[in-house]
Amino acid sequence: MVKVKLEHKRGRLVLHIGDLKLECTIEPRRWRNPLLAVAVLVLLPPLFFHRPDILTLLTTANIYACVAIPVAWQMIGIGRMNFGPQIFIGIGGFAAALLSIHLGLGPLQSLPLVIIIGLISGFILSPLTIVAKGLYYSIITLVLPLVFMQLTYVYSNIFGGEYGLSGVQQLISLGSMKLNFLVTFYLSLLMMLVFMFVVNSIFRSRMGLFAAAINDDEDVANALGLNVNWWKIVCYTITSMMVSLTGWFIAYNVGGFSGETYLPLSFMLKILLIVMIGGRGEIYGTLIGAYFVSFLETGLRAAFGSISHVLFPLILLILLLTLREGLYGLYSKHRYREYYPTVRVRKR
Amino acid sequence: MLLNVQNITKRFGGLIAVSNLSFSVEGGEILGLIGPNGAGKTTFMNVLSGTFPADSGKIEFDGHDITNKAPHEICQLGISRTYQIPRPFPDLTALLNVTVGVMCGKRRPHMGFGDALLDASHCLEFVGLFGKRNILARDLSLYELRVLELARAIATTPKLILIDEVMAGLNPAESRRAIKLIGRMVEEYHVTLIWIEHVMKIIMEATDRVVVLHHGEKLVSGSPREVSNDPKVIESYLGKKYV
Repeated sequence: MVKVKLEHKRGRLVLHIGDLKLECTIEPRRWRNPLLAVAVLVLLPPLFFHRPDILTLLTTANIYACVAIPVAWQMIGIGRMNFGPQIFIGIGGFAAALLSIHLGLGPLQSLPLVIIIGLISGFILSPLTIVAKGLYYSIITLVLPLVFMQLTYVYSNIFGGEYGLSGVQQLISLGSMKLNFLVTFYLSLLMMLVFMFVVNSIFRSRMGLFAAAINDDEDVANALGLNVNWWKIVCYTITSMMVSLTGWFIAYNVGGFSGETYLPLSFMLKILLIVMIGGRGEIYGTLIGAYFVSFLETGLRAAFGSISHVLFPLILLILLLTLREGLYGLYSKHRYREYYPTVRVRKR
Repeated sequence: MLLNVQNITKRFGGLIAVSNLSFSVEGGEILGLIGPNGAGKTTFMNVLSGTFPADSGKIEFDGHDITNKAPHEICQLGISRTYQIPRPFPDLTALLNVTVGVMCGKRRPHMGFGDALLDASHCLEFVGLFGKRNILARDLSLYELRVLELARAIATTPKLILIDEVMAGLNPAESRRAIKLIGRMVEEYHVTLIWIEHVMKIIMEATDRVVVLHHGEKLVSGSPREVSNDPKVIESYLGKKYV
């Protein structure tokens, strides 16, 4: 019989399940503002029920965030700059599309298979995080998605070549197009929030501390008893699976999947900019960055037409140079966590 | 016997950094490891802690063969180290720097994150850094970084600590505080030390036994007084005319 016990200890909820011990901080400042942000994201979109363009924009922002959140974790957890996580969007997207077209699997039926494919492909590529360092790792990861894209051209009978695959089942079909857009937005929001909750919890746990130590100096972390290679493989495999899931969502949302859209470097640069502009290593920052970049891109295109292709990267570059802690840094000034309550003594 | 080093050799291409080195360390002993620059002291420490694999020879620690084991396995068996140039985790606070050591060192499966923070705070309090627990490591002074490394080393619950030139760059007052701290560390945590140092006065006062390295080989081994009067040691440091 496994013994389960819940106790309140030093501002934390501690759950004992047998030998396993899970902890959760219950300080209000940990959840008050995130809860407000979630409330805005949940309550605002129905106001745009008659504007599918805005709902699509918000869905796109959520999809960007769904890629940026695991990428932000991966950048810290393996201490390297990955320029090609979009290969896993390709793996997840093509897997979902092929499963739907050839086996007729719906979104929920293919979900576990895509998770397994994402985990396996992430695990196969994870030794890269051990054998390659610095610039070499960046170059290898930069090339991998491009190689995958070429493969989709070579095996166009499987992957559909330049035009990609079409004829994938729809994610939802509720009869009304406007309702479809709204529900799709909520599904993307749900996925993004789940990703954010998972990664945020990991960042606040011992795994987050290990990730930060690996990011700072993996040799010292290893000398302090941390099995660095194991944690890098775990981090790379899980984040790759999360990115694959985004590919799965895209394939069912769009009704097809094309490597031409998601595998080139331009898509990945947008994701990296979201991570950097949101605030490197800040999980809430990726959300702010994703919404900011999506709105900026669409707004500039509407206002300036073709010149927006020059203005968009220019504005992002200026922001990168001026905001060292990202947009999230503007919201929260860096405050180091106080692990001990401060005792205030009133002078008489 | 806690540590037994047998015929360890480490080569970098054609250069033999450590050659056929053998010695042993008893539990509770403070062993000084000295030698001129380039003698192979730090290389040996890297071999011992698993950072560099040894080309030949055998290292036994507390009944385990640790030759060419991974650094994290060696640390979990009870060998911890500090660095010649402090290498903290710069973006972590002093408390979290030490917490990494608490959580990753000796296996303690029932230790939660909160317990680890409490344990780390004890280590910080011991070295006198508790007041700076929430300061990022990159903002600490050199002395504070040195003692942070000591706190991180004891946080892993080691049996043997390798101290690499802890006095480098410290002023006399800070050096005295550091020596006192290391003395207390040995008394309260019952650790064994292998201490690399260039400041001879400290080595002579603080260690029980000294091993002298020269060109990667063991030159002399004995009590500090014996070693300091040995003509071979004087020659290796100062040249033949001072013998």
